[in-house]
Amino acid sequence: MLEINDLHVAVGGKEILKGLSLSIAAGEVHAIMGPNGSGKSTLSYVLAGREGYEITSGSIRYRGEDLAAMAPEERAAKGLFLAMQYPVEIPGVTTMNFVKTALNAQRRARGDKEIDALGVLRLVREKAKALHISEEMLKRALNVGFSGGEKKRLEILQMALFEPTLAILDETDSGLDIDALKVVADGVNALRSPERAMLVITHYQRLLNYIVPDRVHVLSAGRIIKEGGKELAHELEAKGYAQIVKDAA
Amino acid sequence: MSALVLPNRRVEDWKYSDLRNAIEPAAVESAPTAEWRVDVSGAVEQSPLPEIMPHGRHGEMGVVAAARATSGVFLHIGKGERGTAHLELVTAGHGRTLIVVEDGAMLTLREAAAFGDFANIAFDVVLGVNAQLDHIREAAAHNDAVRVSDYSIRLAQGAAYRAHFADFGAKLSRTELHIALEGEGAEAHLSGVSVLGDTGHADVTTHITHAVGNTQSTQLFKLIAGGKSRGVYQGKISVAEGANGSDSRQTAKGLLLGERAEIDLKPELEILADDVQCAHGAAVGDLDPESLFYLRSRGVPESEARALLMRAFLEDAVAEIADETIRADVWSRVEAALAELSA
Ligand SMILES: Nc1ncnc2c1ncn2[C@@H]1O[C@H](COP(=O)(O)OP(=O)(O)OP(=O)(O)O)[C@@H](O)[C@H]1O
Ligand SMILES: [Mg+2]
Repeated sequence: MLEINDLHVAVGGKEILKGLSLSIAAGEVHAIMGPNGSGKSTLSYVLAGREGYEITSGSIRYRGEDLAAMAPEERAAKGLFLAMQYPVEIPGVTTMNFVKTALNAQRRARGDKEIDALGVLRLVREKAKALHISEEMLKRALNVGFSGGEKKRLEILQMALFEPTLAILDETDSGLDIDALKVVADGVNALRSPERAMLVITHYQRLLNYIVPDRVHVLSAGRIIKEGGKELAHELEAKGYAQIVKDAA
Repeated sequence: MSALVLPNRRVEDWKYSDLRNAIEPAAVESAPTAEWRVDVSGAVEQSPLPEIMPHGRHGEMGVVAAARATSGVFLHIGKGERGTAHLELVTAGHGRTLIVVEDGAMLTLREAAAFGDFANIAFDVVLGVNAQLDHIREAAAHNDAVRVSDYSIRLAQGAAYRAHFADFGAKLSRTELHIALEGEGAEAHLSGVSVLGDTGHADVTTHITHAVGNTQSTQLFKLIAGGKSRGVYQGKISVAEGANGSDSRQTAKGLLLGERAEIDLKPELEILADDVQCAHGAAVGDLDPESLFYLRSRGVPESEARALLMRAFLEDAVAEIADETIRADVWSRVEAALAELSA
């Protein structure tokens, strides 16, 4: 589904990813862990197509296509979704209106029929309920004044609505209380299927108790330095990054 | 030889709107008297201008209009009555309009400034005790037209003036308001949006005088400029000596869409009283790239995302329009203009 090969990425003229390779097959869940500043969010932004993230060499193929050649909205329409570490606040756009616009834009791009306002409302209500997102929140401006946890839950609500083929979660667990963590994990697990894949970026092994990964990768200084099964997350928690980096060197 | 000297950029107040550059003095001098189509409903009476006009303060061009127009429109609404009026210019030129809303009366005034060519109109508006005027002005895009509207608005005790100005640009468009809050409890709430592209220009200049205490005013203006257009908002607030307990709030924001567009915001305070509340803020920025990326990453195409963000930028200013139907009308014009700008 996703094949990243020897990827080098520069931001503001500085190389951040330095030869990263990673491949995820349909049906799999992969986790990326790594110290602050190692390039995890950079990778997620490159995959989503943010401007200013320059691929200097290497390649990314998504469902057999060259991902770098696609505009961000095209990637979304083709099933790629990034739950951001820091969701953006947009005053003047209500959450509900945004969700409706985005959902229908994706459907239009795929040649599916748009869903009318009432239909979207019904759909959103149903998914919001499972995530404990109130009606009142949906009426407010997008992410404006939302707590850290509320922003994260809204990201997951969007994931549930868009039903992406490849979901990337960038520290969605940070800032969530224990109950919210379970709710979010349930949302993620509900989407697991043989056709979909997920890339979960996290600092905490705790999330991986709920979303059990097939593979765990350790990212350090722009490269994957170690890979393993779900037990690698436990090892990281026990030893810390410094030791793992040293072992790998 | 023409004796008429048009306001130009050397005059402080016309710095960003050089009329001399936009039109020949001869064309101003030879312009005919403007004619209107007027639709009224409710208790509004329409008659020729009276011999004696109220003494309101006008700007330079307002004085010219008042001197040159040989006839005009007089709308009057009696004590405690209600009504609506729709004004549309059918022949451009110098024009004069008098609007009197008597004590406790309520008028909704809609004005369409959709003309080409040259128009220069002086408005005198008088609001009696507890009178109310809701005023909406929509000025369509006409990049060949030169249009100047100069309003003198006087408010007695407890009177309220609410106005919204939607301007889509002209070769030169100047909307100038001189508002005098002359009675205690009088209030003026002004808002507006300028959505400009191409070579469009729109200048809204407001001067609110809190002549007595316990008066209130707000100004909320949002400007978007793309292409080689220029948007201007100048907002002066004067609080007279002894006008204690006055409250005035002004916000002006600009959104620049390109390197060749320009937005000039000029707030100005002149406060001679001690106990007043005045707050003002002005800022010009670009479309936020992070917001744009967020929307696009959720599948919203770039042009649609830009339009959505621009609409969001204008949201609070348009929301000031109280009447739902009129607000929806203004939105549909704004959205059409935004679609052109973000295409
Ligand atoms: N615009 C930029 N210009 C220069 N350097 C940048 C820019 N954006 C990010 N970086 C740098 O890139 C490196 C990787 O950042 P990134 O956000 O990808 O780290 P991360 O692994 O997600 O960290 P965290 O765990 O703290 O979220 C950091 O050193 C950061 O300072
Ligand atoms: Mg990060």
